[in-house]
Amino acid sequence: MTLIQLSGVNKHFGDYHALRDIDLEIQQGEFFSLLGPSGCGKTTLLRTIAGFEDVGSGSIRIDGRDMKGVGPNLRPTNMVFQSYAIFPHLSVAENVGFGLRRADMTRDEKTRAVGEALEMVGLGGYGGRAANALSGGQRQRVALARALILKPKVLLLDEPLSALDKKIREQMQVELIKLQREVGITFILVTHDQEEALVMSDRIAVMFDGGIGQMDDPETLYRRPRSKRVAQFIGMMNFLDGEVAATGTEIEVTVQGLGRCSVAAEQAPGAVAPGPVSIGIRPETLSLLFEGETTTRKEVAAVVDEVVYYGDMTYYDVRVDGIEKPLTLSMKNLIGRPVLDVGTQTRVAWDERSLVLLGH
Amino acid sequence: MPGFFVLLRIVLQGIKPDMLRGRLTESGKRGLVLISPPFAYALLLLAVPLATILLFSFWTQDYLTIDTTFTFSNYTEAFGDPLYMALLRRSLLIAGAVTVVTVLLAFPIAYFVSFHVQPSRKSLWLFLITIPFWTSYLIRVFLWKVILGYNGVLNSSLIGVGLIDEPLSFILYNANAVVITLAHAFAPFAILPIFVALEKIDRSLLEASLDLGETRVTTFLRVTLPLAMPGVVAAVLIVFIPTIGDYVTPRLVGGPDGLMIANMIQTQFLKLNNAPMGATLAILAMLSVTAVSLVFIWLNRRWLRGPK
Repeated sequence: MTLIQLSGVNKHFGDYHALRDIDLEIQQGEFFSLLGPSGCGKTTLLRTIAGFEDVGSGSIRIDGRDMKGVGPNLRPTNMVFQSYAIFPHLSVAENVGFGLRRADMTRDEKTRAVGEALEMVGLGGYGGRAANALSGGQRQRVALARALILKPKVLLLDEPLSALDKKIREQMQVELIKLQREVGITFILVTHDQEEALVMSDRIAVMFDGGIGQMDDPETLYRRPRSKRVAQFIGMMNFLDGEVAATGTEIEVTVQGLGRCSVAAEQAPGAVAPGPVSIGIRPETLSLLFEGETTTRKEVAAVVDEVVYYGDMTYYDVRVDGIEKPLTLSMKNLIGRPVLDVGTQTRVAWDERSLVLLGH
Repeated sequence: MPGFFVLLRIVLQGIKPDMLRGRLTESGKRGLVLISPPFAYALLLLAVPLATILLFSFWTQDYLTIDTTFTFSNYTEAFGDPLYMALLRRSLLIAGAVTVVTVLLAFPIAYFVSFHVQPSRKSLWLFLITIPFWTSYLIRVFLWKVILGYNGVLNSSLIGVGLIDEPLSFILYNANAVVITLAHAFAPFAILPIFVALEKIDRSLLEASLDLGETRVTTFLRVTLPLAMPGVVAAVLIVFIPTIGDYVTPRLVGGPDGLMIANMIQTQFLKLNNAPMGATLAILAMLSVTAVSLVFIWLNRRWLRGPK
């Protein structure tokens, strides 16, 4: 069931075109992410859904109701703010129960609801504490409880994890996913962290310059980016120049440094015409061939240019004749597999399935 | 005055047990050297006069000489004489009225500048708010005489417009005139602390309140106002403390019914040549100010929970 429907939404701040023709539909119960670099309009889009910003043109419908002229206090949405916006003059329990003032509940019912909400986010027994005595992770949980206690149709999260350190952030990612499945509420997450978006979302809209660049599930987004920009933003990608000779179910293409090959049409997400083309290759689809190793894939000679050791993985930059920029590839550090030194002569295995045709 | 206690605290905290045994650490010495000029200054200009006043209040005037026998007779007299108590009560009432009027008028101005003026224009607005200070206090009080007088600006305009037939007499030479004049004089002192408190409010808190179902009005009552309270309390103290001791304004625009305790203190010292009685009244005025201030400071502590 479609819960949120945006059609033709545009928004200007003075001369600045903050949102361009946004069309999107978000399903009931979906974990949806808006991903993009800072200034791409993702937070503005979230704020128009929450009702803090008017739309210039176009419409927003939530649960079938047009939201034009409906203030944030009357929308079935609640928000977790980037700064958490915890009221410093209230206790944890008063913060969580803030929105219940108008609810048709007795005092006892409210107290119980607050207790349950705190329990749900793992802060049982913290109700009496002063809000500004909490750590960042705890403030985040209070903000979540405060929003979820009102049982909104949509929970909006504005970069909720960006202020936390890495360990807590990863833990909160998992907890948020669990929580979302538990309560079944639609979550819309704004983030600039592509990894976070890939880990958490059912679907992701990648935004650039106020418009949506691509909207897909995480796997499609990673494997079949539609443009060089999306490919660049999500994960790591090597870009090579190529030339399309013929199109059809198989695309004949000459790749700089790697030679001529034919690629299945589905590996070119956009329409491809004969002529110059950009070709993307993910680091993990290439592999180094260690001494004596053979492969059924194609291989090309290379020289190790740079080695970055991550513990579980090693990233190599290798030089291949005919390609001016070194190719980045990643190897799992399996048992018995050496880490090569800079300058080592080696071979790189690749095949047609590594290639993504990106248009130009 | 609080400045003095801050200095005193710094000095006391700087003194470590070692120092009392005559061994100063290097940083301790340097600290004392750094602190000593302002401390000596505060000692000389605040603590010494204060102690002198306190001492005088326990002495008595014996025609031309001062009898230095320790006695509470001044205090007994001050509490016994209805005139002194009436003046003290009136001073508290007038200072209270000035404070209420000033803070109530200052809040909307501070709110407007903080919430509805573009950030780049805010300092200009604050600068404009200080304009009353460009003229001397005395001249400002005199100007109010011109405005509020029997044939003054206000009365002649109102008569000219035809709103009234004869000049209003309740606006000059009484307590009302004192309240109007002092409220104007102290407006910037109230606007600035409230403005600072409002500026410190994270705007996302207001959005959070709206998001949680409150309207703009209830958001103001539940979020903005409580968070602005420290500024309001500061404004109350800043206005109340000096106005209770003001004697220029009541003398110039107060008439006989607008005189305050400070006028009596002045009279005791200068006209009646009774410094001990003046000192006693000054101590009583200070004690009333202290009592009121303590109540407000306590209220402020109650208002904002959490670590201070």
